Amino acid sequence: MSIPISLMAHLVAGYPTDELAKAAAQGLAEGGVSYFEVQLPFSDPSADGPAIQSACAQVLSRGYTVSEGFAFIAYLRQMFPQIPVYAMTYGNLAYRRGIVRFAEDAAEIGIAGLIIPDLPFDHDEGLRQACTQVGIDAVPVAAPSMSQQRITLLGNHGYPYVYASLRAGITGTETEIDNRTLLFLDSIRGSSRLFGGFGIRNASQVGLLAPYVHAVVAGSVFVDLIGAHAGEGVAGVRQAVREKARELTGM
Amino acid sequence: MSTLGYFDRFGGRYVAEILQQPLVELEQAFTEALADPAFLAELVEQQRNFVGRPTPLLYAGNASRELGGPPIYIKLEGMAHTGAHKINNAIGQAMLAKRMGKTRIIAETGAGQHGIATAAACARLGLECVVYMGDTDVRRQQPNVAGMELYGATVVPVHSGAKTLKDAINEAMRDWATHFETTHYLIGSALGPSPFPDIVRTFQSIIGDETKRQMADRGIGGGTLVACVGGGSNAMGFFSTFLDDPSVRLVGVEAGGRGPAIGDHAVRMSGSGAEDGIIHGYKSRFLVDADGQVAPTHSVSAGLDYPGIGPQLAALGERGRVTFTSATDTEALEAVKFFARTEGVMFALESAHAGAAAIRLARQQESDKPIVINMSGRGEKDLFITSPLLRLEEWKEFLESELARIGGAE
Repeated sequence: MSIPISLMAHLVAGYPTDELAKAAAQGLAEGGVSYFEVQLPFSDPSADGPAIQSACAQVLSRGYTVSEGFAFIAYLRQMFPQIPVYAMTYGNLAYRRGIVRFAEDAAEIGIAGLIIPDLPFDHDEGLRQACTQVGIDAVPVAAPSMSQQRITLLGNHGYPYVYASLRAGITGTETEIDNRTLLFLDSIRGSSRLFGGFGIRNASQVGLLAPYVHAVVAGSVFVDLIGAHAGEGVAGVRQAVREKARELTGM
Repeated sequence: MSTLGYFDRFGGRYVAEILQQPLVELEQAFTEALADPAFLAELVEQQRNFVGRPTPLLYAGNASRELGGPPIYIKLEGMAHTGAHKINNAIGQAMLAKRMGKTRIIAETGAGQHGIATAAACARLGLECVVYMGDTDVRRQQPNVAGMELYGATVVPVHSGAKTLKDAINEAMRDWATHFETTHYLIGSALGPSPFPDIVRTFQSIIGDETKRQMADRGIGGGTLVACVGGGSNAMGFFSTFLDDPSVRLVGVEAGGRGPAIGDHAVRMSGSGAEDGIIHGYKSRFLVDADGQVAPTHSVSAGLDYPGIGPQLAALGERGRVTFTSATDTEALEAVKFFARTEGVMFALESAHAGAAAIRLARQQESDKPIVINMSGRGEKDLFITSPLLRLEEWKEFLESELARIGGAE
């Protein structure tokens, strides 16, 4: 491939175990990913597909806490300091701790930014301000169903990064990258760098999308892979994830 | 109506960006429909001849005398078609969806009452209907599943999470995020992202409007209105007409379940277990743990077994306009028996929580101001739940003989 691929890989913190989640991160790092997106599991993740929802439920069933999720991210920061970590979660976990404190805690362990899809950019409970205060990014989510008016409104906020969710729907099903999608990406780009994802499963999809975004996001594909290879232990998970990441990054 | 989707600090539209525009379109369509005389005329027609309105306001003279307190009246909302107030909202939203050009309806259901109402409304209006229902609920509410399927709906069991109502809501939100161009999400309670709390309350407010007229016809006024509160659709429909009338006291009754321990009840307002939260698209009071994860709940009545409360009721509670109390599983069962024996009226277990609180109030009350209970649903649907509690041995025998009979017919 002529264009270097920048990949943001999604992990569910603590899935399926702390040990195997760390092995998966190792595999992703060896596979050449540029960013980690780490999901802090929430009991009712209504913007995620079945694969990620089951992974979150499985992690929570052993009493997993937000603090343990933060500790997992702190480990990633220590082991892979060259790979920035964005934390993705749902509004209520941040709201319960207090938005300001949540942003402070995130900054403290070296999180680069927060992606919280159910805190819309115009009603974000002070998330953007709290993040700015502590020097991290609040990354809003944009979607193709947005009206021109909302796209303009989003653009006016001047976010450094915007997360583009590329199909009408939820994570985990195949995406076709068509003209409409590319027009949408053009409309929201403005001065922001784009993370573009949802439904990315193979290298050809990545190749199509990569020229139009700052980084391509791949999520369910890794969660599925980690679940499928969990029985093979640390080495199996690490290898399977590394191979898939290499395929997607073209490394 | 809400102010830009908020009731004081509660409400809002906390959903993924993908659903923001569909909610804007829904709000516009709802506003236009309410200003269209043809829509309103059709609604009245459906309310009268399909739903069976007005529902009666019954003077419960025997119950009043036995309790030795003020006169008790029962708004027999459970006499509405499909057995509960849910049909008021279901037919209204189904009409709205059809007006918007949607061809497919999705709904969530816990006990199945909202699912039944939605399936019936869709059958009547010729709309495709898919009902999401937690797998646990599918197993324990088979009679309602059978009813929904008879009305032509597809019932989809949800296997994620706790496999109950809250998980059915998540699944319905997911479906809507993928199919909003053809599909309307028909939410059954006065909660969820704006404008749903306004829409549901508006279609349910027929309960309060009728009650006010019926009270005036009987020459009674003031007093106390009592309604059970799960998400809050029957309570908001019953109360909304009276919000500006200070002579009327409004009492909401939550599910006290087995007791005050976490996981044993669904008390959001009258106890100390709830916190402000943002879940299922709206900000309100929720039962959550220290991290903000949704906590388990319990009630003998599936319709009250939900961790959140509609945002307008949360606001009215904090303002002190609505007083909240709770009734336990046992008290609710006793209330079912009491009104069945004294008045020949069988309350649904949900509504029996209101009945139980009314019995308590009547015993304490000195004045002769009336107490009006909203019997939001009738109790026949609960026979599979109440029978094992009230007459276990006979019920076992019945089930065994039925099983033998069906097995023998093969």
